[in-house]
Amino acid sequence: MRAKSAGRSAIFAGILAIAFGVFSWSLLTTPDLSVRQSTGSARLVSIEQLPDYADVCAPEEMSAIAALHAEFEHNTSVYAADTVEVNRPPVRTIRDTYPIYSSVAVDPVRNEVVLQDTNLFSIKVFNRLENTPANVDASTPKRVIIGPDTKNEYNNGLYVDLANGETYSVAMDTADAIFTFRAGAEGNTEPMRVLDIPHRGFQVTIDEERQELYSTNQYPPRLLVFRKGASGNEKPLRVIEGQRTGLADVHGVAVDSQRKLVFVGNWGNSSNYKVAGSGKHLPPSITIYSTDANGDAAPLRTIQGPKTQLNWMGAFSLDPETGNLWVANDVGNSILVFRGTDNGDVAPMKVIKGETTRLDHPAGISIDTKNKEVWVSNMGNSSATAYSLTAAGNAAPIRTIRSAPVGWKSLKFGKPQVVAYDSKREEYLVPN
Amino acid sequence: MAYARLAKENTVPVRILEGQKTLISRTMHSMEYDAVRDELVVNSPLVQSILTFKGGSNGEVPPVRVIQGPKTQIQGTDYDGNDKMAIDPVNGEIFIGSATSAGPGKGVVLVFDRMANGDVAPKRILGGPKTQFDFPTPKGQGFPHMTVDPVRNLLIVSTRGGLLIFDRAASGDVSPKRVIKGPKTLLTAGNGGGLIKVYSPNGMIVSSCTEGSICAWHIDDVGDVAPRFKIPVQKLTGVNFSGPTLNPLHKEVIVTSSSRNVIATFYWPEIFETP
Repeated sequence: MRAKSAGRSAIFAGILAIAFGVFSWSLLTTPDLSVRQSTGSARLVSIEQLPDYADVCAPEEMSAIAALHAEFEHNTSVYAADTVEVNRPPVRTIRDTYPIYSSVAVDPVRNEVVLQDTNLFSIKVFNRLENTPANVDASTPKRVIIGPDTKNEYNNGLYVDLANGETYSVAMDTADAIFTFRAGAEGNTEPMRVLDIPHRGFQVTIDEERQELYSTNQYPPRLLVFRKGASGNEKPLRVIEGQRTGLADVHGVAVDSQRKLVFVGNWGNSSNYKVAGSGKHLPPSITIYSTDANGDAAPLRTIQGPKTQLNWMGAFSLDPETGNLWVANDVGNSILVFRGTDNGDVAPMKVIKGETTRLDHPAGISIDTKNKEVWVSNMGNSSATAYSLTAAGNAAPIRTIRSAPVGWKSLKFGKPQVVAYDSKREEYLVPN
Repeated sequence: MAYARLAKENTVPVRILEGQKTLISRTMHSMEYDAVRDELVVNSPLVQSILTFKGGSNGEVPPVRVIQGPKTQIQGTDYDGNDKMAIDPVNGEIFIGSATSAGPGKGVVLVFDRMANGDVAPKRILGGPKTQFDFPTPKGQGFPHMTVDPVRNLLIVSTRGGLLIFDRAASGDVSPKRVIKGPKTLLTAGNGGGLIKVYSPNGMIVSSCTEGSICAWHIDDVGDVAPRFKIPVQKLTGVNFSGPTLNPLHKEVIVTSSSRNVIATFYWPEIFETP
C-alpha cells in the first residue's frame, strides 16, 4: 500500500517539478522575484491566494496544473517542508452580521431592556422606551457588554436583579457557567461572579423571596437550586432530578414566590444515558412543582397535550399579580399564557400570534409588572417586541427594538458544529 | 437549516427543519446527506435515536424512519449524548459511536442498515481493545467521527490524535488495518471534534488538524506521516473552524465555525485532482 502511495507521490512530485520548472523559467524573466531562489528548494510547499473569481465561473474548468501555474506566477513562496500549504482565503462565507436575540430581561427600575445576543456573544442594553423608527436600520444600545474578558459565549438565559441591577447570563455550552455582571457593566468587562453549572444550562431565574437561584439543565434533565450569590463550584441546595419528575429536555423555568410554585418547560426528548436504548420521544410539557421540591419529586401538575400548542418553547416569565405563566413559544411563533392552576391537556387562556405581532421565533420573555408590559426577544428577526399585558390574538407590538433593518430574517445560527452537502439541491445543511 | 451553495454573508436559509414533530433534539454534532436515496440522516443525541428525513424536507415534518429502542443498544453519556454518526450511501449503512455499560474508553461503533426502522438490533458491532477505541472520555466526550471509502471498502474512525482505518465490514474486536497517528500527522487530541471526509476517487482524507487548520492525508498513509496538504484556516480567517465536508463537483471544501457562527467555503482543487 505504502509503495502504491509512494508511486502516487512520485507522480505528483513530478507534476510539481514541471510546474516548478515553469516557475523557475518565469524567474529568469522576472527579476523582482529572483530573491525566492535563495531558498534553494525544488519543492512547492506553499500556495498563496488565487486571483479572485466570480462564483458564477466554474472553477472546475481550471485544472490543478493550470491553477498551480497561475499561482506560481502570482504569489508563491517556497520553503522546505513535507506538506503543501494552501493559503487561499475562502471563496465564500455565510454569517449573520446582526445580533440573534435569544433572551430578554426588562428592568423597569432603571428603564432598561437587556437583550442576550447569542450570535455575536454580547449583551446589549437599550432604553426601555426605545422604539426603532421605520426609517432607521437599527437602534443604538445604551451600552454593550462584549469581549473576551466577559467569557460570555453561547449565552442564553438572562435575569436582571431589580434591586441592584446585576445581570445574570447563562453561558450554556463551552463555559458551562452563570456569569453575573455588575450594574452598568459595559464593554470588555469580567463578570463579578461566576457560578459553575452542568453542561447545557438554559434559563436562570431567582426566587427573590427565598433568595434562591434556579438553573435549568437540558440534559441530563434537572432543575438546580442554588443559594443566590453562589459562585465557583458551590453545590446546589436542591436538585430536582429523576424518573418521577417528568423532566425531559428541560428549557424554561419560572418561580411564583407568592404561591410557592415552580414551572419547568420540557421539550420531551427523554433518555437515561446510563441505559442503552432507553430513549423516548414524549410530547412537550410544563411540569409544576412546589418550591420545596427536591430529588426525584413527582410534579404537582403537568400541562401536556395537543391543545397546549407547545412547540420548542423557550423561556418562561411569571406574572406575580395573576400567577399566570407566559411562555415564549419559539417554533409556534406565539406567546402562550397559561393559568398557574392549569393541568393536563388545556388550551392556553390567551395566545398572541399573527403577522401583526412581528413575532419571529420568540425565545425570550420578560414581564414588566410596573408598566403592565411584556417583552419578547425574537431570534428570527433581530428584534425585541413589547406588548401590553392585556394584548391577545394578532396584536401589534406597542414598541419594537430592532437591531437589523425592517423585514430582516435572521440566519438563525446557533453553534453550527458540522455541515453536510446536499448535492441534488446544491445546498449546505447545517444543524444547530 | 439549508443554505444555497452560493449563499454569502447575511443570506437567509432556503429551508428550515424545526419543531416538535421533527423529533430533533439539540447537540447534533453530525448530519449526513444520502445522495443515493435523497435523504437526510441525523442523530437525535438526547433520545438515543437516528432520524431519517426525505431530502428537501421543510418546516415541521416528521422523519420517515426512526431507529430507537432497547435493541439498538445506542447509548450516550451525560455530557455528549451520542452525538456523532455517519452514513455509507453506497452500501446503505449507518454508523454511530455508542457508549457501553463498561464505562469510559469502552465505546463501540454500531452499524445499522440504512432502511432499519424502529427498535432494531445493529447488524454489526465494532469494539474492543484491539480496535484502539478510546471513547468516551471520563467526562463523557470524544465520540468519534467516521467515514467510509466505498471504493477501497474501508472505514475510517477518528481517535484522539489519530485516524483508525478498518475494513468497512469489520466486526467485533479487530485491529485496524492501518493507523495514521503521531506528531508529524498534525492530528491533535481534539480531533474527535472535526468531521472526516474521504474523496474516494483518489483516497484523500480531509479533516481538521492542528492550529485550526484543515489537512489532507492519503488513505494509504500509515503511521506518523505529514499531511499531503494543509489549509491554515485559522491563520487565514482568524476563526477556528471545524467541519469539513466536500463538494467534489465544484472542488470545494466547506467548513463551519461553531465558535463564531460562520460557514466558509474554500476552493481546494488539489484535493480532488491529486492522482
